[in-house]
Amino acid sequence: MITVALPKGALLEDSIALFQSLGLDFSGFLDKSNRQLQISDPTGTAQALLVRALDVPVYVEYGQAQVGVVGYDVLKEKRPSVAHLADLGFGGCRLSVAVQASSPYRSALDLPAHSRVASKFVNSAKEYFQSIDLPVEIVPLYGSVELGPITGMSEAIVDLVSTGTTLRENHLIELEVLYQSTARLIAHPLSYRLNSDGLQQLVQDIRQQTAAPAVSKAG
Amino acid sequence: MDCLAERKADGLSNAFRGQGSPAARCDSKLSIEHKLDQVFQCWGYHRIITSTVEHLSTLIAGGAIEQSTVIELQSTQAERLGLRPELTASIARAAVTRMADMTHPQRLYYSANVFRRADKGSHGGQQEHYQTGVELLGAGGSLADAEILLLLADCLSSLNLHSWHVVLGDAGLTQSMLLPFPAEMRQKVRQAIARLDRVAIEALPLAPALRRRALLLLDLRGRPEDILQLVSQLDLSVEQRSTVAALKSLIAILQETAKTAEGKATTIPSLVLDLSLLKPFDYYTGIVFEVVGDTELGRQVIGQGGRYDNLLGVFHPEQRSYPGIGFSLNIEALQQVLAARRQLPQALPAADWLVVPTEAPAAAAAFAYAQKIRTAANLVRVEVHLAEPTAPQAIRELARSRQISRIAWMRRRVCRKLKPSIRLV
Repeated sequence: MITVALPKGALLEDSIALFQSLGLDFSGFLDKSNRQLQISDPTGTAQALLVRALDVPVYVEYGQAQVGVVGYDVLKEKRPSVAHLADLGFGGCRLSVAVQASSPYRSALDLPAHSRVASKFVNSAKEYFQSIDLPVEIVPLYGSVELGPITGMSEAIVDLVSTGTTLRENHLIELEVLYQSTARLIAHPLSYRLNSDGLQQLVQDIRQQTAAPAVSKAG
Repeated sequence: MDCLAERKADGLSNAFRGQGSPAARCDSKLSIEHKLDQVFQCWGYHRIITSTVEHLSTLIAGGAIEQSTVIELQSTQAERLGLRPELTASIARAAVTRMADMTHPQRLYYSANVFRRADKGSHGGQQEHYQTGVELLGAGGSLADAEILLLLADCLSSLNLHSWHVVLGDAGLTQSMLLPFPAEMRQKVRQAIARLDRVAIEALPLAPALRRRALLLLDLRGRPEDILQLVSQLDLSVEQRSTVAALKSLIAILQETAKTAEGKATTIPSLVLDLSLLKPFDYYTGIVFEVVGDTELGRQVIGQGGRYDNLLGVFHPEQRSYPGIGFSLNIEALQQVLAARRQLPQALPAADWLVVPTEAPAAAAAFAYAQKIRTAANLVRVEVHLAEPTAPQAIRELARSRQISRIAWMRRRVCRKLKPSIRLV
């Protein structure tokens, strides 16, 4: 039986709708009273695991789930060994550098050398500042990253922006976009190569269902 | 107090004998290696031992192996030394200078530890692995390819493993199909195909025809007959056609051998032809394959191999190369597959005898008698009781708990005649 890893949070509803359109119903995860982390499709053809977005590629890389849905941001940050099979088009957002609106900085290059940058996306942030040759100290935070500049702990943040409302409400402005992100369909490479449980057909059906052009450029 | 000491000793001995103990793990590894050893010898292969430590230049095989995977040693000299991440390069290096004077083909096998830097981001990933494998040097063509795959099947069959998969590709064919891509794009396309990254291919700035070609290569896998037919319909060069013909004849040999009564042991239970099977870097020039087994923890690669017709030339003083092909089996992964099927020894074998010197002066007699029993035609395991406990009843209990069936009690007065009193426990 095929196991699908679904991410908790922003991508869950669209992911469930996608599988529903293929006749696989995991909508039990959307039920507020649901506490189950593993449910089967009523037709008994597939099951789904509900895990944190960061853990989706882990379950897929180790083969406990053969396919998963996860944001490009997580793939870029974690670089797991999984097959990237489709851009699903939904869950659009961008990873950006932001600072306090009241600060004098209007571009990432304006930041002083050795300033602090708070981020959940430590690797992406490090890579970006290396690419513009600006030495900075990355401060890892796991939530409410906006508090970094507000409390004065860091000059800037690197964080996901979807509508920009959170930034505006916290008096932050976006300086640079590191990359655009959308939800991706990933698969366990060995299971995909061996076409376990008709995995290739499922992937093909999903691709036809979405048929969205790649929104972002890798890099 | 005595009783406590006995229990303690008992617990310890069981911990060292039971499943999962260091000795039991070693025993199961050796039992795998021993069976493979016999298969290799039956096929006319000879064992070779190479150095664990090599010059870095040997280990990276002219850039075919990523330097970042090699664990380097601190060296006071200018030369850079590292621990071998695999054996093929070392064996190619050792063999090539003697190839001119030797009859071909050379059939070699090894069983050794290899060292790899754990992946970035992994926590406590394994760095030392055991591999057993073969290299068939000086023979090209489908027959040699078939020998290697049939030998692989015989190896797994000797381990009583009958459900496994081979994903078979052809690095030479796939790489030649990448030649129409502009040089600056080729490595990117290769990487994307190797990583099964369809999204990256869709995002690369490629002409529509080239994008179609890249996407076709990415999903060129399935039943060998179907894929070969599909590939035959493509616009191929003369060389590519001959590669496809060679693949066809290889598949035919494998299938026909499996049909014979004698070929049963060398049947490959499930074969997928996958022309997207590539690595971002490697030395393979012909067929490449991965062997996949099912463990309780999911599917795992239990072995890999392929043809490398240019590798020996990297090490030859005049760059003269010889064809080569081989595979290696990952012993730890095999252990997991076999453990999931309960096909490994669950615990270490118990001793057959416990020889007990009942008083200090009988020690020599005990060792002498133990040695006498050991000389039997079949393997007899004999332990000499060394110290605690001393009470006969406690010793009997100890023997029973360790499944030792016979106890020989040695007394001083019968020393010279070596006549113990023997008890069955």
